[in-house]
Amino acid sequence: MFRYEFMLNALYAILIITPLFGIVGTAIVNNKMAFFSDALGHSALTGIAIGALLGITNPTISMIIFGIVFALLLNRIKDLKITSKDTIISVFSSTALALGLVILSKNGNFAKFSNYLIGDILSISASEILALLGIAVLILLFWILFSNKLYAISLNPSLAKSKGINITLTENLFIVLVALIVMLSIRWVGILIINSLLILPAAASRNIAKNLRQYHLFAVIFALVSGVLGLITSYYAGIATGPTIVLIASVIFFATYAIRRKIGD
Amino acid sequence: MKKRLLLIALIILSFSLVGCEKTQIIEDEKLNIITSFYPMYIATANIVDGVEDVTLECLASPEVGCLHDYQLTVNDMKKLEGADVFVINGGGMESFLDKAISVYPEIKIINASTDILEEHHEEHKHEEGHHHEENPHVWVSVSLYIEQIKNIVDDLKNVDPQNADKYEANAKLYIEKLTELKNEMHIKAKTFNSKNIVTFHEAFEFFAEEFDLNIVAVIEREPGTSPSAKDLVEIVDTINELEVNAIFVEPQYLKTAATTIANETKVNTYELDPVVSGTFEKDAYEKIMRKNIEVLEEALK
Repeated sequence: MFRYEFMLNALYAILIITPLFGIVGTAIVNNKMAFFSDALGHSALTGIAIGALLGITNPTISMIIFGIVFALLLNRIKDLKITSKDTIISVFSSTALALGLVILSKNGNFAKFSNYLIGDILSISASEILALLGIAVLILLFWILFSNKLYAISLNPSLAKSKGINITLTENLFIVLVALIVMLSIRWVGILIINSLLILPAAASRNIAKNLRQYHLFAVIFALVSGVLGLITSYYAGIATGPTIVLIASVIFFATYAIRRKIGD
Repeated sequence: MKKRLLLIALIILSFSLVGCEKTQIIEDEKLNIITSFYPMYIATANIVDGVEDVTLECLASPEVGCLHDYQLTVNDMKKLEGADVFVINGGGMESFLDKAISVYPEIKIINASTDILEEHHEEHKHEEGHHHEENPHVWVSVSLYIEQIKNIVDDLKNVDPQNADKYEANAKLYIEKLTELKNEMHIKAKTFNSKNIVTFHEAFEFFAEEFDLNIVAVIEREPGTSPSAKDLVEIVDTINELEVNAIFVEPQYLKTAATTIANETKVNTYELDPVVSGTFEKDAYEKIMRKNIEVLEEALK
């Protein structure tokens, strides 16, 4: 199967993306940002639409810029306590989605962009894999420097603040990073399922991990296993790769959930 | 509180006023023709060229391309509102319109593919392995496009007998030009060394038949859906086995899947245009087809 270059490329991409999603996912689940990253995924559609309006053939740049602006703005507004956080996020998410749809379906040809909804990891090229590798290095650096601070914030923000952690800066940096990874992988993973890939491995890991180290480790392993197994399964079954990966991740989630229930009894 | 209520009442009132504004339907003497999409527009534009009291409009904007999964916009419905004649390609290309058009039973529909697809299916019934799913991309074959012109002009003469002579003369002139184009293309097609090609979607079936080319694989069987890993493997293996020399992409679609296959097989990609988008020029069809045959010459020499 891996004598085909496109399968090999897809495998490399999965080996880079899925551990990143696993590790970033742990922080997203801890800091209760699942809904936030979902909104971010939806905002990609507006990013694509803006790219299309400006006549850019590869909308990744417009997606990244719009994604970062969107994420920072949303993060700022959700803390203003105008209304509950989930409402604000929902408002942002729906606005971005609707705006994207309005622009993209202007001439009745939204179908052309349907590839972005479920993604297409089989068409990734070598240079695009390099870009992913670049973002992987960035995230690893961030992780070494900030993961403890992020964890402290998720446990108790005021305590974290008293220990001299700059909450806004840490959060914003993390959010920019999430925006980057989401926008860079959306063409391969798809708008509809990108959030599942961020949340499921971390959530499954949380079911059975006994400490922070295990939590991170299991999340990365689960993400990797779902990615590789999903690719292989989709190859033999002749089905779309992205959704297959997510399905396997959800099976892992329910399995770990059952294990936890058993131990809990 | 009272102020707020008043404001809400005002807003509701203003909305209802907008609703009351009557849409004025201008009853004019002109024959308003609309066409479903680009190739039908070009065909009809040539037929009604220079005829007075005829307006011509295209429903889908010229950059839309093939109408697979097209969604009607409010603007489209507005265009339908004032139309007398609606020229469609038929064969299922405009299936999204079935419901919308039933709202306007008074519009005369001209189906350019009348009898063409049926005859075509009859002819190929005996062929083994020929799939019988209807393929609406009739206009991509020059010969069948000429048949479409004949269909349109016949129906148009019935709708507007006053201008029948003019339509007839225009069509005759256009068909002459197209016949010349066809002959030119056939002469060049005879020089092709290889006949096996891979195309992007099923648009070129009739085109390939006309020029005796052999489509061994189609990349997107369902337009807008990326091929699965299994599909890709099948295509790649077919290309390697049959020594295909060229993969043809279409300017209207993303080339990602084609690029993947091209990298895998080291076969070059070329661009073939199924004449579904471009500028509204009368000679657009000939221009695009001349370019297509040049590309084919380059790819298959």
